[in-house]
Amino acid sequence: MKIDLNLLDARDLLAKKEISSHELTKTYLDNIKKGEELNCYNTVATEHALAEAEKSDLRRKEGNHKSPFDGIPIGIKDLFCTNNIRTTASSRILSNFVPTYESTVTQNCIDAGLINLGKLNCDEFAMGSTNKTSYFGSVINPWQSSQSDAKLVPGGSSGGSAAAVAADLCVASLGTDTGGSIRQPASLTGTVGLKPTYGRVSRWGIVAFASSLDQAGPITKTVEDAAVLLEIISGHDEKDSTSSIKDKENFFQNLNNSVKGIKIGIPKEFESDDLPVSTQKAWDECKQLLQSNGAEIVDISLPHTMDALPTYYIIAPAEASSNLARYDGVKYGIREEGKNLIEMYEETRSIGFGDEVKRRILIGTYVLSSGYYDAYYIKAQKVRSLIKKDFNEAFQNVDAILTPSTPSTAFAIENEPDDPVQTYLNDIFTVPVNLAGIPAISIPFANDENNLPIGLQIITNSFEEQKLLNIAKNIQDTINYSHKPNKWWTND
Amino acid sequence: MEFDKNSLLKLGKLSKIKIDDDKLSSLSKDLGSILNFIDRLQSLDTEEVDPTSNSLDQPLVMRDDIAIDKNSANEILENAPEKELDFFSVPKVIE
Repeated sequence: MKIDLNLLDARDLLAKKEISSHELTKTYLDNIKKGEELNCYNTVATEHALAEAEKSDLRRKEGNHKSPFDGIPIGIKDLFCTNNIRTTASSRILSNFVPTYESTVTQNCIDAGLINLGKLNCDEFAMGSTNKTSYFGSVINPWQSSQSDAKLVPGGSSGGSAAAVAADLCVASLGTDTGGSIRQPASLTGTVGLKPTYGRVSRWGIVAFASSLDQAGPITKTVEDAAVLLEIISGHDEKDSTSSIKDKENFFQNLNNSVKGIKIGIPKEFESDDLPVSTQKAWDECKQLLQSNGAEIVDISLPHTMDALPTYYIIAPAEASSNLARYDGVKYGIREEGKNLIEMYEETRSIGFGDEVKRRILIGTYVLSSGYYDAYYIKAQKVRSLIKKDFNEAFQNVDAILTPSTPSTAFAIENEPDDPVQTYLNDIFTVPVNLAGIPAISIPFANDENNLPIGLQIITNSFEEQKLLNIAKNIQDTINYSHKPNKWWTND
Repeated sequence: MEFDKNSLLKLGKLSKIKIDDDKLSSLSKDLGSILNFIDRLQSLDTEEVDPTSNSLDQPLVMRDDIAIDKNSANEILENAPEKELDFFSVPKVIE
């Protein structure tokens, strides 16, 4: 069966009894098998998914389905702890870790009846923008350039989550975003990726990278699906003291695609001669489109935009070096023996972590060490205040901000630069949002001259996800982006 | 700019990561490039600015201290590389 459903399609088919959850789940498991070359999944939970699908069919038959979405198979980034299903963070050090508990976000999905197909590949500990740092190898972008058949990066760190949605290896997926890890891969794969406000979604049970920046969110085919999945995963969790105490919102029910009277800010600091012509064109067309639909376009300034990336590369490694201290070969994960305890730690961490993770732990340790703490870590926290202040001031005058999501479309896997700083620049448009803790979404807008997707980013103030989704829906409904990858990996 | 190799070895000790000799050179180059990049912040005047450690504008939430019967020692130890009785086992620390 050929299938490329979104959450609403699948909901309707299940409600009309045109398909069972078992059939649906089986079809997606078949798609995963056919798409093995894309390397999207670290672990496929075949038996678990089919057993849960049967239970879902029984619930529906008896009229006890948990939600309208009960029985729909989704993919989970391999950073969410899932009870009895291996969770690796795409790292060798956790390559044998089987959690005995379920993260709050995935529990919320189970409570809505969603079926976990398996664990999606990502950059190791979510550190990367290409998915190349995974211990399990690169994810291949389902999109190919019309000019070449070179394998392209899907972006990262939620590269598997984005590629799996684009390739129909799940109906929707969960990712996490610390500096752009949902929005950047969404942009490179023609999918919708939403990073919620910091605190909107519980971080409990998610392998921690940078705790003051990490936030889980949906990667989907449509804005409606993003609203549905955000609604399912969000809400206060007493197990996460940084989760917001605000009431859960009905993002899907309250979707409304009007932008009449909405003010959209265009930050001049995001404009650059280095931006590809096609990305600039997409950005300009989107401004015009919003204007014709009744929005007002306003030029704004976010003066500290260019300071965000260096700030991020102090704060995120600092928090990571602390969070990753727990991987010591004692409590879980792999152990490499040494002559004594200290050598055991050093050997374990040396073979257990990949190069990028080691770089970040070392930099993080450096900026937190005696004599450098004030000059780097406190300095970065102060600049973070300035970045947050820029956004606060901007939102006094505008409802939302429109920017490109990424400085380029997908590039070839072998073309990643040697200098890590060059790779960091992929997140230049997404990182300021994490530092300010505000929500943002990337939606596909057009394809470039090589038929590769271009994503645009919409940003709103804290806890204004509804406004964010509404503007995104307005754009989606106006352009009807309908490009799809040609599925070169299968004969279907 | 290269990161000083002795300082790098010290950082490795602090981070409990063994740095192999054949990685030393490329790592010091990478770290030098990253430090050069983050050093850009030094030119900003932040004298009057307070640091932000967390963007959530909400007081710390307290919860009741209620005992729950979850994650038993047996369950937790299932993931331990080595265990003895009900304990994690590590190489001998005191001679």
